[in-house]
Amino acid sequence: MCKGSVNSIWIALALLAIPCVSYAQYGAGKALPGNRNNPEAAKPNTAAPAPAPTHDLSGVWMMRNPPGSNRGFTNYTYTDPKTDLPSLTPWGEEKFKEAKDSNGGNYTLDQTNDPVLTKCYPPGTPRVYFHPYPFEFVQGAKFMLMVFEYDHTMRRIYTDGRPLPADPDPSWMGYSVGRWEGNTTFVVETVGFNEKTWLDRLGHAHSDQLHVRERFRRVDRDHLELDITMTDPKALAKPWTSTFYYQNRPDWELGEISCSGDYLDFNNFESFSFKKKDEAPK
Amino acid sequence: MKAKSLAVLAALALLVFSGPTFAHHGTAAYDTGNPLTIKGTVTEFRFINPHCQVYFDIKNDKGEVEHWQGELTAPNKLARAGWTKHSLNTGDQITVTGLVGKYGGHSIWIRKLIGPDGQGMQLSED
Repeated sequence: MCKGSVNSIWIALALLAIPCVSYAQYGAGKALPGNRNNPEAAKPNTAAPAPAPTHDLSGVWMMRNPPGSNRGFTNYTYTDPKTDLPSLTPWGEEKFKEAKDSNGGNYTLDQTNDPVLTKCYPPGTPRVYFHPYPFEFVQGAKFMLMVFEYDHTMRRIYTDGRPLPADPDPSWMGYSVGRWEGNTTFVVETVGFNEKTWLDRLGHAHSDQLHVRERFRRVDRDHLELDITMTDPKALAKPWTSTFYYQNRPDWELGEISCSGDYLDFNNFESFSFKKKDEAPK
Repeated sequence: MKAKSLAVLAALALLVFSGPTFAHHGTAAYDTGNPLTIKGTVTEFRFINPHCQVYFDIKNDKGEVEHWQGELTAPNKLARAGWTKHSLNTGDQITVTGLVGKYGGHSIWIRKLIGPDGQGMQLSED
């Protein structure tokens, strides 16, 4: 299968679809029959932006690209795959060739080797941001928790001034320390990864030398911008950077999404059709 | 005429693809070029992760009953749009538009759903 051409089709579809998804397919805040219990909950916050509070990220955040944005690629990778490819080392290139992604539209669930989709591996940092669900910051005195709705995933970011470990043990989500830079920017450094996860949903690899820097900039009360810088001398020839955008959702509560049982029963999902004809796609 | 055709095509595309696109899997198993609209009767609604499932029966051109499976988005996303596990019930009449599986079988990735009261049901948070 030609990865590039299929990608192009998917990207075109994504570009078409994303602005509609983000900015209300039925008009802003319009109550609909599907929204029977709490029509008000669907209304976006239209109040003028209030200033960001000092040293406070607490609350529920959901990805929302800026109005008019064509950032369809943020469904599955960090930079526009047509114009801004990451710079990989030969090791990184080799690993990427082995990847068979689903989310980029290239392989079905029966074919993909995506470790999250096929094994329910934790997504890793920062791939966790591609999951289309909210996360919550919970601030403690000595650490910040990031609680992701997807699969109860949690990160603990130490804010007690400790340094990053010089020789960290491997982990899925990494070992994180954070500090405030000014009143509204929280900077997080993360190391200590295993090599079992992908950087993104296309299958770009990272090694145990991955270092992730995140700068959470709360630009006003309701909006958060996240600059991500990935450095990995084994996988990336130069750092890979991106910015993600989030909206505060004060009325939302995180629910349960467990990657088990139904998640791995592909017969429930797209592969239902294969079962009918016993015909795997070629 | 060409402009009009393009406008119709664009409107159709928006109609079909304005549903939730952030899914846990990609579109490789679906025919993205030929969206289908079908009307049927719900036989089962499963409020499960990662995607809610609607099973329904339709009558084909020959008058035969076909069993279909439709895929929606995650229950948490639908819940934020006001859905519950009771939002669709056995016997409900629905009309769905979406992408059909490429490899046979009666499977559809639902992008638009007209509910039993004839109104469009919200398929993502907002």
